[in-house]
Order: sequence, then C-alpha cells, then structure tokens
Amino acid sequence: MLLVRDVLDKQMVDRHGNRMGKVDGVVIRWADDGAPRVVYLEAGAVTLARRLGRRLGHWAAGLAHRWGGRHTESYRIPWNRVRAVTLELSVDVDAEETRVNVVEDWLRQHVVEHIPGGRK
Amino acid sequence: MKRLVEIALGVVTGIGGFLEAGSLATAAQAGADFRFDLIWAVILGAACLAFLVEMCGRLSAISKHTVPDAMRERFGFRFFMVPLVIMQLVMYLVMATELGGVAIALQLVSGVSYRWWSIPVGLLAWALLWKGTFGLIEKGVSVLGLVTLAFVVGAFHLHPPLADVLHGAIPRLPSHDRAHYWFLAVSILGASISPYLFFFYSAGAVEDKWDVSHLSINRITAGAGMGFGGIVAIGALVVAGVVFHPAGVKVDSFEQLPILLTSALGHWGFILFVASLAVACFGAAQEIALTSAYLMAQGFGWRWSENLPPSDDARFSLTYTLMTALACLPALLGVDVLKLTNISMVVSAASLPVVVLPLLVIMNDRRYLRDYPNGWFANTVVSAIVVLAFALAVASFPLLLTGGG
Repeated sequence: MLLVRDVLDKQMVDRHGNRMGKVDGVVIRWADDGAPRVVYLEAGAVTLARRLGRRLGHWAAGLAHRWGGRHTESYRIPWNRVRAVTLELSVDVDAEETRVNVVEDWLRQHVVEHIPGGRK
Repeated sequence: MKRLVEIALGVVTGIGGFLEAGSLATAAQAGADFRFDLIWAVILGAACLAFLVEMCGRLSAISKHTVPDAMRERFGFRFFMVPLVIMQLVMYLVMATELGGVAIALQLVSGVSYRWWSIPVGLLAWALLWKGTFGLIEKGVSVLGLVTLAFVVGAFHLHPPLADVLHGAIPRLPSHDRAHYWFLAVSILGASISPYLFFFYSAGAVEDKWDVSHLSINRITAGAGMGFGGIVAIGALVVAGVVFHPAGVKVDSFEQLPILLTSALGHWGFILFVASLAVACFGAAQEIALTSAYLMAQGFGWRWSENLPPSDDARFSLTYTLMTALACLPALLGVDVLKLTNISMVVSAASLPVVVLPLLVIMNDRRYLRDYPNGWFANTVVSAIVVLAFALAVASFPLLLTGGG
C-alpha cells in the first residue's frame, strides 16, 4: 500500500457506512526505534489549507482559533481505527460521536431547519 | 423491459437536456450570420459531448467513483482545487444565463420585464431541488424538454435546401467576417460541451448504482441522446438560417428569437418557442445547481444525495441554495442576457482543458477502469476537439472584450 496513492484524499466512511470527509492529511511520527509510523489520519479545513500553502495554513489556523472554540486543529483518527482500504477507507468510529461533522451539524441546526421544508 | 425503459429515459434525457440558453442563442446567431455554414461546429460539439458523457458513465459504473472523487484521489487536493474553482465560476456564469433565459421566456408571454421574473424563477428552481428527488428532477426535466423538438419540426416545415444543409456539416473556412465566424464556432463548442452535463451524469450513475451491466445502456444513451440532442440544436440553426439570414437580421437579443418558430409554425410557434426556452433553461439551471453541490460534496467527502432531505445533507443542500441565490443576481440587475450567454460560452470553452484533460488521464488509468479504459480513438477525438475549442476561445477573448462578438 502506498500512503499518498492509496490513502491520502480517499473518501472515509464510518462504521455505519456514512461518508465522513476525505483523508485530508496523514500524520507520521518517528518511533523510538527510528522508523517512521503512521499515527493519525486528519480530516479538516486547517489541514487542507496547509496543503495549499504555508501562509494559507497559518491564516486558517488563526481563523479556527478565533471561531473554532476549543478545537483549533483538524480532527484526527488514530491509524489503528482503520478497518479497510478499498474503494473507500473504512474507519471504526461513529461519525455522529466525533466532531468531523461539526460544520454540517451547525449548518443544519442554524440554517437548514429555519428554512421552510428544511425539517424532516 | 426494465433496461429498455432505462435506455429510453437516457435518450430522452439527452434530447431534452441538450438545448439550453447557450446552444439556442449560439445556433440562432450562427444561422443568422452564416446560414448553414456552422452546422459542423454543432456536430463536433455534440460528438465530443457524447464521448465525454460515455466516459463519465463508464468511470462511475466500473470504479464506482464520481468524476470529482476520482480527480481528487488521483491528482491530490492541490491540483483538484484548480478544476473545482474554475468549474464553479463557469457554472455560475452559465446558470445565471439559464435563469435569465427562463425570465425572458416569461417576459415574452407576460410583458413584465425579465428583471422581475428572476427572483420567482430562482425560488421555484430552488424549491424543486429542496423538496424534489433526483429521479423527479432528471425525468421531469427531460420529458418536458422534448418540447424543444419543435425546432426540428420547424426546420422541416421551412423546407430548407437539403444539399446546402448537408454541405454545412463539412468544416470550412469562412467566406466573410473571419473573426466573427470563429467566435461563433467556439461559442457553439462551448455551449455543446458543457462540463456540468457529464459531471451531473456521473453523479446520476453513482446515485443509480450502475455496474458493468450498464455499459451498453451507457453507450447507447450517450450516443443516441447526444446525437438527437445535437439534431435539435441543428434544427434551431437551420431555422435561423432560413428565417434570419436572407433578411439580414442580426441577432442581438433573445426577444427576437420567437420569430424563428412563428414563421414556421404560426401562433403555435410562439407558444412552442416560449415553452422550449423556459423548460430548456429551467432544466439546465437545476442541473447546474445540483452539479455545483455534487462537485463540492464529492470533492470534500460530504454526505450527498438529491434523494436525502436537506436536513441530512446540510452542506450539500446549502451549496445549491447559495448558487441559485447568487445566479439570480445578474438578471435581477438587468444584465443583457444574450451578452452574458456569449461570454459564458467562450469562458466555458476556454475552461475545458482544465477539466477534460485530467479526466482523460483517469480514463486511461486501469486502477479505475480495470478492463475498460479508453481506446485511442476516443482519446484522440476528445483531446483534439478540446484543444481546438481552447485555442479558439483564447483567440476570441479580445473580440469578446471589445464587444465585437
């Protein structure tokens, strides 16, 4: 498996098969034995902004710091939660219990449900 | 039997969805200024579109990826941003054109200025997306879109000299007004080869869960749908060639166009023209709004489906909402819809390589297409037409800016 070819930018689905963003970044750490290990997958706008450019990354992190409340970094999923890498990348988490959908949820509660026909 | 229905629906979608503000206006201008000489451009555009639609359907059936999914995965996020941003801008221009087209159709029947119609039209388009499903929109649009066949009927009624029409199918150099000729050629190509159409098609194929068994349906749908769709646009061009060209009419607004069908079909012609313009533009506007949302959702991995209620895919539904709201603005502000059309079509043609060339790379990648990658013929035809459209578009920009189009 190649990280950039087979993991980065792949669609992630949670354990219920719901789409939960793309693999926006991969976090690698050098273990004590000196070998690089994949520790996290990242999903979030700050990671994406960093990939576009250093300055844009700083700017996005600043914005997240100002408005994101406690969470100023992208959501991280431990690599050991990855179940399968096929067409999509399935991870053993429940998207509803993470903050990966915080924008989606905020928009639903504050915008969509206030528009006629927006409630289920 | 089920397959036959699917094929029929696919072909009907192609026919009903082909004509929209851009292809109608450019066909009318071409017929008025150069009689049948630019028929070849419509054929080239329709052929290229047929190839691209077939490719996107095949990609979705074999790899289960939509085009944006595959593009981001294959080329990475940085590269993906380029087609994403460019396509959203182009789709905005084209959608504003389409909403303007519906508003003008309503102005023609009501006498009330198109500017006032832009908001109600935008609201109606949005409400159908908000409450409707993919099937309803796709099938509704395509079945109603069959009214545009009126242009083919009109063309036959006028008994154009068949030899001259066939002659127009052969590409040729212009006899007069060279710059204007090439400008119209690229406008026609830009109007026919609309990226939103094949992105929409690929999303549809994934929504309908296509697999290998759909490949033959896909081929027939793409070929016959775009083929017959092209014939509708040729019909409009021929009618304009017969009605406008001898009289020396210059098309400088949409309001002139009903004469095309009234001279062929009388009072009914007027009704059919207005209905064609309204339905075709309305359908295109809806497809563009949805494609804009698909592109974002598939590029960023959001939940998406036109079959979900808006509360289940908030970002997706707010994307088409925002797009529709913004696209009402040009008509509301009184922008000249025909000028907007011409600009949109040339810009659309210029944007083609950024979208189509990465698609071609994916279509030749066996990790996605396995045993069904592109053949050399499809690769050559599509690259050649896209490069031609791009070169003509870039050459036309000065003309566009000086208003000489």
